[in-house]
Amino acid sequence: MNGEIEMNVHKKTKHIETVRAADADTIAHLSEKELFEYAEFRAQDAERTGYSQYSYWKSVWHNFFRKKAAVVMLCVFALLFVFTFIAAMIGKYNVHSLRIDNALAFTSPDSQFWFGTDNLGRDYWSQVWYATRTSIILAVSVSFGQIFLGVIIGLVWGYVRKLDRFFTELYNLIDNIPTIIYMTLIALMVGKSYMIIALGIIAFGWLATARNVRNLVFMYRDREYNLASRCLGTGLWRILTKNILPYLVSVIILRLALAIPSTIAYETTLAYLGLMDISTPSLGILLRNARSFFLDYPYLLIIPASIVSVITITFYLAGNALSDACDPRNHV
Amino acid sequence: MTKYTIKRLLQSVFTVLLVVTIVFLLLRLMPTDYFFTEDELIKLSDAQKQDRLLAAGLLDHPLVQLGRFYTKLFTKLDLGLSRRVQTNKPVVDLIASKFAISMRLGLFALGISLVIGVIFGVLQARNKDGILDHIGTAYTVFVNAVPSLVSYSLILVFGARLLGLPSLYSVRKPGPSAVLPIICLSIGSIAGYMLWTRRYMVDELNKDYIRLAKLKGLSTRSVMFRHVLRNAFVPLAQYLPYSILLTVGGSLLVERFFSVPGMGPLLTDAINRYDTNVVQGIVMLYASLGIVGVFLGDILMTLIDPRIRLINKGETR
Amino acid sequence: MKKLLTLALALCMLLSIVGGGAAADELKELHTYEVGATREVESWNVQLSQMAVDSNVTTNLIDGLLTNDPKGALIGAAAKEWSSEDGGQTWTFILNDGMTWVDYEGNIKADVKAEDWLYGLEWVLNFAKNDSANTSMPIEMIKGAGEYYDYTKALTESEGAEVVKALGLEKFLELVGVSAPDDKTLIYTCTDKLSYFPTLATYNGLYPVSGKLIEEIGVDGYRAVSWDTMWYSGPYTVTSYIHTNEKVLTPNPHYYAADTTKRFDSVTIKIVDSTDVAFSLFQTGELDHVTLSQSNLNTIYGNPSNEWYPYLTETRPTKFSYQIHFSYDKKLASGEPDVNWNTAIANEAFRLSWYYGLDAVPYLKRQNAINPLSGTNYVYTGNNVSVNSEGVDYTQLVRDEIGLQYSNEEYARTDPEKAAEYKAQAIEELTALGVTFPVYVDYWFQGSNQTAKDTADVLTQMFSDTLGDDYVVLRQNTYVTSITQEVRNPQLASFLINGWGADFGDPINFLGQETYGEDNAYYSQVISNINKATDETLIATYKEFTRLVNEAKAITDDQDARLNAFAKAEAYMLQHVLVLPWSYETVWQLTAINDYSKIYSAYGIQNYRYVNWETNSDIYTTEDYAELKAK
Repeated sequence: MNGEIEMNVHKKTKHIETVRAADADTIAHLSEKELFEYAEFRAQDAERTGYSQYSYWKSVWHNFFRKKAAVVMLCVFALLFVFTFIAAMIGKYNVHSLRIDNALAFTSPDSQFWFGTDNLGRDYWSQVWYATRTSIILAVSVSFGQIFLGVIIGLVWGYVRKLDRFFTELYNLIDNIPTIIYMTLIALMVGKSYMIIALGIIAFGWLATARNVRNLVFMYRDREYNLASRCLGTGLWRILTKNILPYLVSVIILRLALAIPSTIAYETTLAYLGLMDISTPSLGILLRNARSFFLDYPYLLIIPASIVSVITITFYLAGNALSDACDPRNHV
Repeated sequence: MTKYTIKRLLQSVFTVLLVVTIVFLLLRLMPTDYFFTEDELIKLSDAQKQDRLLAAGLLDHPLVQLGRFYTKLFTKLDLGLSRRVQTNKPVVDLIASKFAISMRLGLFALGISLVIGVIFGVLQARNKDGILDHIGTAYTVFVNAVPSLVSYSLILVFGARLLGLPSLYSVRKPGPSAVLPIICLSIGSIAGYMLWTRRYMVDELNKDYIRLAKLKGLSTRSVMFRHVLRNAFVPLAQYLPYSILLTVGGSLLVERFFSVPGMGPLLTDAINRYDTNVVQGIVMLYASLGIVGVFLGDILMTLIDPRIRLINKGETR
Repeated sequence: MKKLLTLALALCMLLSIVGGGAAADELKELHTYEVGATREVESWNVQLSQMAVDSNVTTNLIDGLLTNDPKGALIGAAAKEWSSEDGGQTWTFILNDGMTWVDYEGNIKADVKAEDWLYGLEWVLNFAKNDSANTSMPIEMIKGAGEYYDYTKALTESEGAEVVKALGLEKFLELVGVSAPDDKTLIYTCTDKLSYFPTLATYNGLYPVSGKLIEEIGVDGYRAVSWDTMWYSGPYTVTSYIHTNEKVLTPNPHYYAADTTKRFDSVTIKIVDSTDVAFSLFQTGELDHVTLSQSNLNTIYGNPSNEWYPYLTETRPTKFSYQIHFSYDKKLASGEPDVNWNTAIANEAFRLSWYYGLDAVPYLKRQNAINPLSGTNYVYTGNNVSVNSEGVDYTQLVRDEIGLQYSNEEYARTDPEKAAEYKAQAIEELTALGVTFPVYVDYWFQGSNQTAKDTADVLTQMFSDTLGDDYVVLRQNTYVTSITQEVRNPQLASFLINGWGADFGDPINFLGQETYGEDNAYYSQVISNINKATDETLIATYKEFTRLVNEAKAITDDQDARLNAFAKAEAYMLQHVLVLPWSYETVWQLTAINDYSKIYSAYGIQNYRYVNWETNSDIYTTEDYAELKAK
């Protein structure tokens, strides 16, 4: 915070200096009365002391786009997602009308089948890209859902003291029951469709984020500048969003970046345990299936595994960079 | 301190009981048809099914069942019998026969990953932005990038095919057969310890007291180990007891892959077989260990770092 | 590291030389496996358990009265003779001499006596002791068994379980038609003249337990009996058991038939996570046989220079006879009857178009890509269930009736011309009844099971290729865990592919499941729902079939006439396509065990007895196996 204030003061003096230099001649012969007048006192303007052109999000973008690698990574990811649609168009087979042909089973990648065929002789290219799309959509929506829920709960948990005990108990309760119990019970009693699984992961995935946010809120809520802000009568919502949230954005972004790959990994595990519906191919399901074939036909594993790795790495690097860029302490 | 400890322990007991109660009631939400195997569903008449549910006490109101469960638990310390995992064996015996195996493997893996992870983390922090740092980061990214199902499969196959290591865990000759499971258990946690050690070390290195220490002319080595590592270790230490205790739980995937007869797959097996007593027992164990682990972590932290005090701070979790 | 690697490689090579270089003689120790922790023993109590995973082990540990030979014929085990003087109403079993119960360390605990079978059956029928497991067949066949079960049940309700658990043999002997006049003689009285009653003696409902053991460890102790508390009388004892990891069986040192029974020095059963792990264990010589996954088989078969290529062998079909069971009262997810389907399937031309149209080969290729036709099944009853006096298998009689024979060249049932004819006829007749085409066929499989999903895909394509999208369209649906709970009870499936393994050796065990208006006809109750159907013609057909079955069932004095009558009834059922015979399971394997020397029975729990197996310390080659099969 100190840095920011210093910077603003500096700017102000500079401004005055330029005015002086330009108008030095014209003002020389004017009387004091012509030169000065009493300013009207306005509380609002008094508040504006030290206000500058600083914009949080502008600085974020500015900082982020300076990191070329991260930008490239984000582009790679965006391209990958766009490509899942293009791939379906340029591929020779439509994923929804694949034909089973035992004679073609386990064909290695060639000019006809760009990614080879699976155990039933179906084109793998169309399946892989379709699965990639499904997985990205699932992972992104689940991660956003988790983080959104986590941040909201975390903010309330951290800021409203009366609720701390309640949320702590709730946290302990949910955290101490193995997630696998929830997921199994959900699978048994509600269903295993994509929507249900996604909601299930969200419903029990917000914990870590919420706790993290709560601890950060604890750290910042009673800092001097917040006390001052509160004394000046700033509203709760404004304190949360303007004073505290910027400090959280970096953590949130990092969590988001890591949640996406971990959702894909989680999906793989759920598929392995039979807790997920497999009618829609996803990367997790392809990986699980390839497990029993990959010794003889490694391409069945390598292709989806590489895509998962690309997604993870792009998110890891881009997420880290974005997280750094979001930290206001780096905005000098 | 004593007062605080007692208060906290009481709270923990309360939380554990609450957890068990919730799981108990959740399990009663499952339709009773899961009580039977497909085979039994075929062979038993409806009347016979009712008879068996009645005999198992499943037709009573869930709260009545809960009452019975707690009465047995508090009066006889009895968690009931396993229904199908190992038919009619007491749950306590069942868990007792399994947890040691998981724990042994888990402790080995934990020790290995702690040593390797912390050493590499320190090296990374010392050579920040150097080649070692990048290698370490690459490893972390790689481990996170490849789903564990895939990396375990790779370890299993290459360990077994190329190095000739046993691909099945053998209780009678655990030596070589434990190698691959331990590797699988370690790769992830090594990355974790590396990441956090590096992060905490780098944070510490930027602090003023370190600059002062350097200005005073202390050698890098002594700064690193006497000051930086010690301070960086505090947040790591907090989770250590938790991690140690949770080795009891084993790993679902690793233990399934290598047929390790440990705790890992027990929970899912028990749920799938409607073996409610076993599920309750395991959950109770996990919850207690988790809570005790966190508590011990907090205490350990106060021991390592005298500045930290627990009293009157409320929940430190 | 390099050194270690070299060392390991050298060691491997050495091992493979030692393993493969020895002269071809028999295996001393058997190493076998089960895939998945769900294949672990759940209960060691042979009376209580109903699961194959349990009896596959316990059948080696305790001897029942009778067992089977590799051809499926009954041979003596604990009983040396068995006979009936009155045409099958009462059966007398004479036990062997010198049989003993031993504990897992091989210490002799007691003699095996005829009364042990009384204790065994009392346990099975006692409501409080046995949780109603394994009761159905004894109640059906043994006189007074049902009454004793009802008695104990009523007593449990009035007096509490503890009183019933304390019951001895008095009331049991009073009510139930079984007695042990001396230590070596056992007499059962049946509910009717049952020529096939001895086949029930291979089943765990009729296994013994020593009264002294129950006395020693108590009723609750025996309910929870484990490998280290149970008593053994069979060819093996368990010497080491690690849950979900490994079981080791070694020969029972006091086995009465030690001289005449060939046993392994040890049998190790490992639990592995997948067939791939099994395959890699097989390659390192840690297993003596392995069934091949699709990709393993594809790799080996696709490359004649593969080291395992010459050793590919086919397993014998398992005992389950798979059928397509139609549902005649199918419902929609909303609970409303699926009128379109119900009307269509009640039409005989519609069913016949399936009979002649559906070519099962793509389906059979799923399990057996090399030789799919060895899984062909044209009849309802399973192989080896019953044999007539000339040694002709019952299913052969049925095949003669319907005029279809198995062949290695073609799938004989399909006839595209007839299929097209019946299709046209069905469309015409059904359109008049207001059926809209295509008729949607709801097929269900477990949502998490990839193999099932692949099979569903194959079926979908098969329906589309052979019957045409304008006619029927297969709709895939998934259930979560329990097919009974989620699909059968709400009657959501158009058809289910289900395998039936016999409980005892008579066609009635199969045909009796499909009859009309009978309570114990299992398939009629839970899958075909025929009793709820409304179509008059269909019901008439079913009634005629039921009449034929009951006519055959009534013939108790002439086994050949009985089988012929059953064959007629079955042929009637197949010609009207009340069910559609579908497949047998055969897979490919690499093995050092001669499958043709194993016990091979359609019923009972004897198939996993590790006795009198022929093995080869080398892996059998494809030619070896062809020879063995021919024998």
